[in-house]
Amino acid sequence: MQPRTPTRFIDPALLAGISHLDLVAKTVVDGFVAGLHRSPDFGFSQEFAEYRSYTPGDDLRHVDWNVFARTERMYLKRYRGETNSQLTLMLDTSASMGYSSHGTTKLDYGRFLAVSLAYLSNLQRDAAGVIIFDDEVRNYVQPSTRQGQFMRVAHAIEKASLGTRTNFAKPFVHFQQFLRRRGIVVVISDFYEQPEIVIKTVEPLRYRGNDLILFHVLDPQEIRPKLKEPSLLVDMETEDAIEVSPEYAREEYGAKIDAHIAALKTKANAAGIDYQLLPTDRPLDDALREYFLIRKGRM
Amino acid sequence: MGFLAPWFLAGAVAIGLPFWIHLLRQYRSTPHPFSSLMFFERRTQSSIKHRRLRYLLLLSLRVALLLLIALAFANPFIDRTGVAAGGRKMLVIAVDNSFSMRYDDHLARAKQAAMNAVSQLNPGERGQVLAVGSRVHFLTQPVEETDQLKAAIQGIQPSDEQSSYGELARALRTIEQTSRIPLEVHFASDMQKSSMPPAFADLRLGSDTNLIFHSVADPKEPNWMVESVTAPAKIYDPKKVRVQAVVAGSNTPATKRTVSLALDGKVLDSKSVDVPANGRASVEFVSLDSPHGFHQGEIRIEPGDSLHQDDRFDFAIERTDPHPVLFLHPAGQNLDELYYRSALESVSEAGFTLDPLAVEQAGNQSLSKYAFVVLSDVGSMPPGLENSLRAYVAGGGSLLIALGPLSAALNRVPVSNEAIQGSAYASRGDSRFETVAAADAEHPALRRANKLDGVKFYQVIKVDPGQSHVVARLTNQAPLLLEKQVGEGRVIVFTSTFDNVGNDLPLHASFVPFVEETARYLGGQQDRSTNVAVDSYIELRSAKERGAAIDVTEPDGTHPLSLKDATTAQTYQVTREGFYEIHRANGRQEMVAVHADRRESDLTLIPQETLDLWKNTGRGPDTPAGDGSNSGNQARPWSLWRYALLLVLITAIIESVFASRYLSVEKEVA
Repeated sequence: MQPRTPTRFIDPALLAGISHLDLVAKTVVDGFVAGLHRSPDFGFSQEFAEYRSYTPGDDLRHVDWNVFARTERMYLKRYRGETNSQLTLMLDTSASMGYSSHGTTKLDYGRFLAVSLAYLSNLQRDAAGVIIFDDEVRNYVQPSTRQGQFMRVAHAIEKASLGTRTNFAKPFVHFQQFLRRRGIVVVISDFYEQPEIVIKTVEPLRYRGNDLILFHVLDPQEIRPKLKEPSLLVDMETEDAIEVSPEYAREEYGAKIDAHIAALKTKANAAGIDYQLLPTDRPLDDALREYFLIRKGRM
Repeated sequence: MGFLAPWFLAGAVAIGLPFWIHLLRQYRSTPHPFSSLMFFERRTQSSIKHRRLRYLLLLSLRVALLLLIALAFANPFIDRTGVAAGGRKMLVIAVDNSFSMRYDDHLARAKQAAMNAVSQLNPGERGQVLAVGSRVHFLTQPVEETDQLKAAIQGIQPSDEQSSYGELARALRTIEQTSRIPLEVHFASDMQKSSMPPAFADLRLGSDTNLIFHSVADPKEPNWMVESVTAPAKIYDPKKVRVQAVVAGSNTPATKRTVSLALDGKVLDSKSVDVPANGRASVEFVSLDSPHGFHQGEIRIEPGDSLHQDDRFDFAIERTDPHPVLFLHPAGQNLDELYYRSALESVSEAGFTLDPLAVEQAGNQSLSKYAFVVLSDVGSMPPGLENSLRAYVAGGGSLLIALGPLSAALNRVPVSNEAIQGSAYASRGDSRFETVAAADAEHPALRRANKLDGVKFYQVIKVDPGQSHVVARLTNQAPLLLEKQVGEGRVIVFTSTFDNVGNDLPLHASFVPFVEETARYLGGQQDRSTNVAVDSYIELRSAKERGAAIDVTEPDGTHPLSLKDATTAQTYQVTREGFYEIHRANGRQEMVAVHADRRESDLTLIPQETLDLWKNTGRGPDTPAGDGSNSGNQARPWSLWRYALLLVLITAIIESVFASRYLSVEKEVA
C-alpha cells in the first residue's frame, strides 16, 4: 500500500520546463493517482458478480462445475464485465491558443492535459487517440491499444503547432468519420465562439454513445484582464485592433466573459455534455478528476 | 498691481505642454496581442475622454504650476503704503554727539528734539536710540518703554568723534533688514556738510525708511579754530625749534586774535594775528625753552567762541639729547668723515652726533651707547673689534659699512660675512662709470634719495649678495646697497665710499636725505607721529613683536588695555582729545597728543536739496519729497515674486502627491 501524499499536482508553469511530454504525463498522472490512493495495477481481469441457475440455452462454458460436483445442480457463474474504453482527445491549436500572460500558453496547458489523459488512459489499457485541429484537421492518431500507442499520441501532441482559425464549426464536420466506436471524447479548446454554436457543433459527437467532455482552457488574463493603462489589443486570429481602457476591461469585459462561461456551461449540461473550465494557472487535477468521473461511469 | 518684467508672461504659453501630455499622448498605445476581441466593443476607444476627466485635477495643477512660474519671473508688484502695510512702524531716534555738537547748546537742542520725537511713539510700537559719531552707538534695544528711551537720550554725552552720516545710513539699513517693519527715523544733528561721505551712494536708505531731520544748527554760525600745529616731536636744541600754527575761521568776519604758545600750562609766548574773513592765518614761534622729558604743548587763541574746544590745539614734544654715532675710519683718512658729518649735522632735527674714531684705536671701544656704528673703508681691524661689532649687532645694534679700496683686501665683509669678489674701477671718462640701474624705492634708506639717480660710481667693491637683500644694483649688476639681518640687529653694506673719490654721491642733493634716512632707520628713530586726530589708530607694535606688554594711559589716567590686549594688540584707536602715554615693549616711553578732527569745526550746513535727496534714496526718483510726516503713506511698489515662488513650491508638492497617487493606483491594479 502506497503512503498517502498531500502533494498537489505540479504547477503548469513548472511543467512547461519539462521538455518531454511523456515525462510530463508521467509526473502528473503518477502524482494524481497516488493522491487518489488508487493502484494503477488493477489490470484487465474479470470480477465475480453472482450465481444463477442454469436454464436451457445457456452457454455451458459458464457453468461452475465445481459447484455441480458438490451439489449436482448447475449454476452459472456470472462475472462483471470490464470493457475497454476508447479515448479521443481533440486539441484545438487555433491561434488564440497561443496566448499567455504568465509563461504557459493555453496550447501548452492543453498539451499537458491531453498527454496526461493519454497516459492515464494507457495505464488503464484504454485505447487513446488524438485529433489536432484548427481550421482543419492537422493531425490524427487513431485510438488503439497497441504497443507504443502512447508514444505516438504524445508525439502527435508535441508536434502540434499554432494554426489559424476564424470558424470554430468548420473542422467538426469531419470528426464523425473518425469516431466509429463509442468512447470518451475530450475537446480541449478556448471556445471563442457563441455558446450555442459551440454546443451545436460538438453535440453530434455524442450520437454514437460517446461521452463528451469540454475542457475550456482560458488564461487568467482572459478571465480578469488587468491593464495598467489604455492599451491597444490585437486579436491573435483576425489581427483586428481595439483600444481598451483598464476600466472597461475590468468591468464590462469581465461581465461578458463571465456570462459567456456561464452560458457555455449551462448549455453543455443541458446537452448532456460535461464541461470544465480550466484556467492555465491552476493544476491539472480538476481536469483529471473530471475524466475519472466520466471513466468511472463507463466501467 | 503691475509687473516689473512683463515679458516673462510669454512663458505662460508653456501650459500647452500638460495639455499635450494629457490629451495627445493618450492616443499612443502599445499594441498587446490578445486571444480574441469578441467581447470588446469599438466604443471602448472613448476611454480617452474618460481618462481626461479623471486626470482633470492633475492637469489643472500642472497648468497652475506653469502659470505661477511665469508669474514669478514677471515679478508682480502692488502699490503698498506704509499705513496699508499694517500701520506698525519702528521709531529710531538718532542723536549726533560728535565734536561739533559741543557748539553752544547744539547737543541740548538735539536731545530736546529727540525727546519730542519719543513722545510720538504709539502704544505697541517700539523705539531705539542711537548716538551718531564716527560710529553708531546703539544705546538701547528696540523697546516699547518711552521712559527707557528718554533715559538713554538724557544720558548722551558729547564726544570728540567726527560724525559720519554714511555710518548712520548703513546702521539704518541694517535695522530695517533685521526688524522687517517700516522705520521712522528722527535724526537730530547740526547737519554738517563735512560729515557727508565721499560717495553719495553710501547714504542710501532702505525702501521702508522714513528719515526726518531735526536740524539744531543755525545757518552761518561763526567759528574760529586752531586748524593745525607743526611742531617737532623731539627737541635736541631748544633754540632751533620752530612751532607753526594755522588759525582759521568758518563763517567768520575778519578779526584779530591772540595766539599763545603754552607748555605744560605755562604760556611761553603770545602773538596777535589778523584772521581774514572765512580765511586762515599762520603764526610761528621760534625757540621753545623746555627741560628734558615729555611736555604737553598747546596753541590757543583768544578770545574764545561758542566752540571753545577747538580754540586750542594740543601737541606733544620731548626734549632729549642727540644720540651718538660711532664713525670708524682708517687713520689719516678724513674725507669720508667730513662729508658724512656735514650731511648728518645739516639736518637740524636728526638728533645724532658723530663720534669719529680711527679704527686702529677702537679695539676696546664700548659700543652699547651708540645709536649705530659706521665702518668707512675699513681694511684690517684690531683684534676683538669684529667680535665686539658682531655681538653689538646681534644684540639689536645696527651697522653701516662703506666698502673702499682698503676693504678690497678683505675676503669677506665684516659682520655680514658676505664674500668680497674684488673691486671694479672706472676712469672718470664720460662713459666709464656706473649708475644705479635698479633700486627699491620703498626702502627707508632710499625713500627720499630719489633712487640715487644721476650719481656716478667710479669705484665699487663687488660683493656676492649671499643671503643679503639687495636694495640697489648698478648698471653692471653689481650690488650697491645690501641689507642683512644679523641676530636682532641689521647691517647695511654700501659697496662704495662716502667721499667724492669712489663716486660723486656727496656732491648730489640725494646725499643728505640718504644719510639722514639711513641714520633714522639704523638708529630706530623712524617717524612716529605724536600729534594725531581722534579716531586715528596708534601703532603699538609690529606683527613680529609679540609677547612683551605695552601700556597705554588715556588722558584721564585710565589704562584701557587688558592684560591680553597689552601683549597682543597691534594698534589702539584714540577716541578722545588729550595726551596719551604709551610705554612700548622696548622700554621707551612716548606721549601722543590727540585732537579732534578739525573738519568738525567747519559748521557749514548741508544744502536742503541734498537732504531731500538723501531722504528719498530708498524710494526711487519718482516719489515726491514730503515733509516726513505723511511720507509713510506714499505708495511704494511691493514685489510679490517671493509669494509667487512660494505658491509654485506648494503647487509642485501637491502635483507630486496627486501624480504619485495616480501612479500607485495603477501599479496596484497591475
